[in-house]
Amino acid sequence: MSDLLIIAAVGLGTYAMRAAFLLRRGEAVREQEAPVLQQVAPAVLAAITLPALLAPRGTVSLPDTSASLAAAAACFLIWRHTRRFPNALLAGLVTWWLALAILPGA
Amino acid sequence: MSHPSPARAGLRDGMSVVLGYIPFALALGAALGSSGVDPLTAWLSSPLMISGAAQLVTVQMLGTGAAAAVVVVTALVVNARHVLYSASMASLVPSWGRKDRSVAAYLLADPMFALASARFHSQDPPEVQATHRAYFFAASWTCWAGWLLLTGAGVLLGEALPAALPLDVATALTFLLLLLPTLQSAAARTSAVVGGVVAALTAGLPLGLGLLVATAAGITAGTCVARSNTPAPTPRKDTSHV
Repeated sequence: MSDLLIIAAVGLGTYAMRAAFLLRRGEAVREQEAPVLQQVAPAVLAAITLPALLAPRGTVSLPDTSASLAAAAACFLIWRHTRRFPNALLAGLVTWWLALAILPGA
Repeated sequence: MSHPSPARAGLRDGMSVVLGYIPFALALGAALGSSGVDPLTAWLSSPLMISGAAQLVTVQMLGTGAAAAVVVVTALVVNARHVLYSASMASLVPSWGRKDRSVAAYLLADPMFALASARFHSQDPPEVQATHRAYFFAASWTCWAGWLLLTGAGVLLGEALPAALPLDVATALTFLLLLLPTLQSAAARTSAVVGGVVAALTAGLPLGLGLLVATAAGITAGTCVARSNTPAPTPRKDTSHV
């Protein structure tokens, strides 16, 4: 029961953070804040993505890291060509498996 | 090229995210189920938090008997980026009413925010803004349902999951695909490069603090580029707020 209360408390805190600006009524976002806010998504998403690509299984290793970078490159190329998320993801995963099969020491 | 309705486009993009999340959500569910916390209680973190990293941290700390306050503070530090999502989202949907905002705040996890950021712009004309609601809620409820189902399946399957699941790389590629559509300006690309590099250099910091440091560095660098590329602020017709 107390575990559930703690989980609910984290959930409530997370909701409060997500609601912090959305529910601040009557205060439009000021003009000078707009360029800052436009950087949130690229900065956070890249900060999540790059370490995960460099250490796909928790640690940096030559076969894993090169395989995941090759997968990322394939993903990027297919996404740029087709703009279709599932195609690009599939291309990335196939490249990952192929690279691991080919690279020595994997 | 056909143009699907906003709801249909949201459903499609939400399904794409769910597809990429399959390995991670299953493995996270398995981790929740084997943490020592009652499995149903652990799974309830999915609807209560909708945030993989915070769910994992919370349940694992509960499993090791950490103090309640420490667990809550740690998980909220891990989730601190959501304050920024809230501010950014508020600037993208100025016309939404309070009810929509309350529900959107519940749903504003990483992929939902990323999809909204890629599609919505603060200068969108009203007729385009009118389509954002259908898109956002279709995409977000799809991600939400997928997250609850997949983490639930992970709890149930537990140890039976194959070790060969391409867990981390599928998640990393999903985030890469959420990142790419946001790189529409030189400023955004600067934010991403600086954020990514700093995150890689600070990956060893505890509590996911590296992510916060990297995000701050990326936003700062990108904002500098945005400000230097924009000519001096143009006089605005609307001077209602200064």
